[in-house]
Amino acid sequence: MAAIGVHLGYTCACVAVFKDGRADVVANDSGDRVTPAVVAFREKEKIVGLTAKQGRIRNATNTVVKVKQILGRSCNDPHAQKHTAESKCPVVNADEMAKYEIDTGDDIKLVSPEEVAKLIFNKMKETAQSALGSDVNDAVITVPFEFGVEQKNALRHAAEAAGFNVLRLIHEPSAALLAYGIAQDTPSGKSHALVYKLGGTSLSVTLIEVNSGIYRVLATQTDDSIGGECFTEALAQHLASEFQRSFKHDIRGNPRAMMKLMNSAETAKHSLSTLGSSNCFVDSLYDGMDFDCNVSRARFELLCSSLFNKSIQPVVSLLEQVGFSMGDISKVVLCGGSARIPKLQQMIRDLFPDVELLNSIPPDEVIPVGAAIEAGILLGKDSSTLDDETLTVECCASDITVKEVNDSGADIYTVLLPSGTPLPARRHHTLHCPGTGSSVCLELYQSVQNNCATEAKKVAQIILKDLVKKEENHDILAVLTMKRDGSLHVTCTEATTGKSEAVTIEVAS
Amino acid sequence: MLKEALDGQITVVCNPVAGSVQFQVEPVGRWFEAYLKRRTRNVSASFQELEDEKELSEESEDEELQLEEFPMLKTLDPKDWKNQDHYAVLGLAHLRYKATQKQIKAAHKAMVLKHHPDKRKAAGEQIVEGDNDYFTCITKACEILSDPVKRRAFDSVDPTFDNAVPSKSEGKENFFDVFAPVFERNSRWTSKKHVPKLGNMSSSFEDVDAFYSFWYNFDSWREFSYLDEEEKEKAECRDERRWIEKQNRAARAQRKKEEMNRIRTLVDTAYSCDPRIKKFKDDEKARKEAEKKAKADAKRKEHEERERIKQAELEAERLRKEKEEEEAKQAALQARKEKEVQKKAIKKERQKLRTICKNWSYFSENESESVKMMEEVEKLCDRLELTSLQTLNEVLASSTKEESKAAVEKQIQEVNAQLQKEKEEAEAKARQLSKSSEQMNAGAGIGGKGWNEDDLQLLIKAVNLFPAGTNARWEVIANYMNLHSTSGIKRNAKDVINKAKNLQKLDPHQKDEINKKAFEKFKKEHNAVPQNVDNAVPSERFDAASADAAPWTTEEQKLLEQALKTFPVNTPERWEKIAEAVPSRSKKDCMKRYKELVEMVKAKKAAQEQVTAKSKK
Repeated sequence: MAAIGVHLGYTCACVAVFKDGRADVVANDSGDRVTPAVVAFREKEKIVGLTAKQGRIRNATNTVVKVKQILGRSCNDPHAQKHTAESKCPVVNADEMAKYEIDTGDDIKLVSPEEVAKLIFNKMKETAQSALGSDVNDAVITVPFEFGVEQKNALRHAAEAAGFNVLRLIHEPSAALLAYGIAQDTPSGKSHALVYKLGGTSLSVTLIEVNSGIYRVLATQTDDSIGGECFTEALAQHLASEFQRSFKHDIRGNPRAMMKLMNSAETAKHSLSTLGSSNCFVDSLYDGMDFDCNVSRARFELLCSSLFNKSIQPVVSLLEQVGFSMGDISKVVLCGGSARIPKLQQMIRDLFPDVELLNSIPPDEVIPVGAAIEAGILLGKDSSTLDDETLTVECCASDITVKEVNDSGADIYTVLLPSGTPLPARRHHTLHCPGTGSSVCLELYQSVQNNCATEAKKVAQIILKDLVKKEENHDILAVLTMKRDGSLHVTCTEATTGKSEAVTIEVAS
Repeated sequence: MLKEALDGQITVVCNPVAGSVQFQVEPVGRWFEAYLKRRTRNVSASFQELEDEKELSEESEDEELQLEEFPMLKTLDPKDWKNQDHYAVLGLAHLRYKATQKQIKAAHKAMVLKHHPDKRKAAGEQIVEGDNDYFTCITKACEILSDPVKRRAFDSVDPTFDNAVPSKSEGKENFFDVFAPVFERNSRWTSKKHVPKLGNMSSSFEDVDAFYSFWYNFDSWREFSYLDEEEKEKAECRDERRWIEKQNRAARAQRKKEEMNRIRTLVDTAYSCDPRIKKFKDDEKARKEAEKKAKADAKRKEHEERERIKQAELEAERLRKEKEEEEAKQAALQARKEKEVQKKAIKKERQKLRTICKNWSYFSENESESVKMMEEVEKLCDRLELTSLQTLNEVLASSTKEESKAAVEKQIQEVNAQLQKEKEEAEAKARQLSKSSEQMNAGAGIGGKGWNEDDLQLLIKAVNLFPAGTNARWEVIANYMNLHSTSGIKRNAKDVINKAKNLQKLDPHQKDEINKKAFEKFKKEHNAVPQNVDNAVPSERFDAASADAAPWTTEEQKLLEQALKTFPVNTPERWEKIAEAVPSRSKKDCMKRYKELVEMVKAKKAAQEQVTAKSKK
């Protein structure tokens, strides 16, 4: 049994397969693990991937890039209009639907964004199937968190048209967490993770609460104005000025030369993520003149320093928005191709000094791997379809704590059942009390949000009496069970004698 | 570290907890799936206990299993196992074919615990030795029911199954009540999932269709190996086994056929009784009829419409015609009236003039003068218009005899002058006519040898063809004439010179006239005998003549010749280029001129050759 996870990004698409308990990204027929999400229409054929991207220099009007920006959007949508304005391939409004106008030599075809996405999905499917050697169609597709219903539907239809059996659409940040298996092995407990995704054209920062193995998005911020292309653009501008300095020609007005330079700058940018310096070489860039330039990593970082600051800034503002400090975050997941940039990683590390930075999986492969893992989980489930109702989960409203004293005698509150725990839930805790006493008292508190200040409200106390005195500590096993409506049942048992007490705390009406 | 309880503290609940809140979560991860599964099963437990719980719930299912003790169990004879109800033996009579393998296993276990000979022996019961104990029935029942193939065989001949098919008369009255349970119970034999329901009166056509197509293509797993008369295992040798197999196969096929027949009968009966089918058929019929009717209506309407339009057109036409006729009639009437009025008036005026003249006794005393005057007055009456007559009468009426005489005489003079003029004109015309005809005859008769138009034309052509300076020009012309003439008259050079000179004398207008006449004549001939071979020559001539309308100047000629030389015959689009080189001429003109030139040169050569040949003689 195998399944496929597909990530279709603004600039690139990537596919991973789940097989034999492992999820791996598969390389396409040209050996690349990431396929540019570019579709070129030629007279007789349609080309997806690197060839299409490179051919764009000559065939810009019939090459569709960043189709995801317009997918599932109406013509009047500001995003769609922005895309229409930027696209080199003319976009026309046909029956309230945006469509690409493709000139195939003898006639002009109208191609919908869904159709373009379908071609990309088709390519991804072929890639995955050739790697698996079987015609597996079950797939999980990732979508950005900010996608609306129509966009999701459009993406789903495109994937289905390409022959995928879409098991589920999942959000990119949660796929990233799943790729690292966060809270999948030891589900109890609660933590917060930050997903930092810097893709080709967009930046999104998402804060996710992980509780009992279930992910919940607390807040997210998206910035469409920054992405890997901005860095490439900055580098290309630098190269253009270098060219002007040495050859006294301004090539910024020449779109074809700039496109060549962009391609070269992109390659240079990629190698700068691993190397200290990179050589940028373009044959016959302009007027038959060859261009050759060496760019050091330091130079690149200097060029993009303002962009880097702009890319980091949303993290700070997001944490401010939800009132979290840096210490509340336990994990930071990096994804998106541009998160490979060493300087960026360093800046994030500086921002979260004590936090584990998860970048062991190549950042641009994190999301498809997560999708493939999810596909593996869903495989064989008879009903993987979801309705809106199943996405909402009853959760514990606030922390249930028990009052204890620490070694110095001060009161501390230990969380037994954290807020946000999906209900019903049962938690076992072993508490200790000094063996010299013959009785023990558990005081249960619930933290109540009261005008921003959290104050503990005592909900119950449980007394265990007539305990046998002994040298070592008494072990008290406390079992808390909370039902879906929020009512709490607590059983306390002394380990050696088996003495127990139980209370049921009803829900405030 | 927990605190020690103080004295007097008791276990108590002091405050209620806050209720749960709803959060939207991401649908990813195994714990989400686990959560979803638990929620759908509505079991509450912590995640860690999930697996335990699964087992627990299964056990509880087993506990739920109610075994119905078969009262006759202890009296069963193991040798007669084929006729026993194995479900009843295991205490599963209420579940029968719906019992799961797990339930069967559990039931067997329970029965064994209760009825095993060792147990009973321990309880002090008397046990029948060997295989004759009823416990063997339990073992056999488990053996059959736990093997899917054997169980299927047993299920197929379930003794409690009602094979009955309702009759038509039963089904007619209360179709749904009668047939629904029958189909329900027969549907257990299907090897397909999702059996369509019989539905009710309001079921859609598709549903009903699906239902009947399912039942007509019913795929049953029911088989009758359980009823085999002989047991294969009992056979002693291979041949016997084969024979038994054959027998059994035949019997099974027979039974299977009967079973299929039964289902078929059932479905047929149901189909024929189904009120919905009848309804659908009626509906379909009604729809078709309605369609037909609508079509016919449409056709009829269209026809009527067309008829109506035609009628209207005809009517309009008729009205228009009538109106026109009416108008014409009116106009004619009017005209006649007017004419009559005019006639009357003129008659009256004439009468008046006559009476006035009579009154004045024709302005003379002399008898002969008055007669002459009378004639003149009559002439006046005839000639003068109405208005001039009126004015004359007025003048006569208002003046004295002398004056009126003068007026009448003046009028008479005028009329006479007019008459004279007319006469003169007519005479001049007649003269001109005679003169022109004379001229014609004179032109034709010049030279005494009857130069008709053709010959004249030919001569002109020849003169043009051989311009002054040609070697022995007039001989050549005469020769050319003789060669091409249709009149057959032989002419020598002298004749030709005379004629040409004569022609030169004629004014250009006359030349034109001759040309035109020649052309008209040619045209007449041409129309009369268009396919005549001889006419090829005049037609070319005609072309040349019309092209001559804009004669080629020497300048143009030079240009053309130059162009012809520069662009040899094999030049592509030669004539276009030539036409370009001669700016004042079109391509067609150039080609025509070229043809002419070629013809000219050819004729020249031919004539010269003839002349040289003659001179040699």
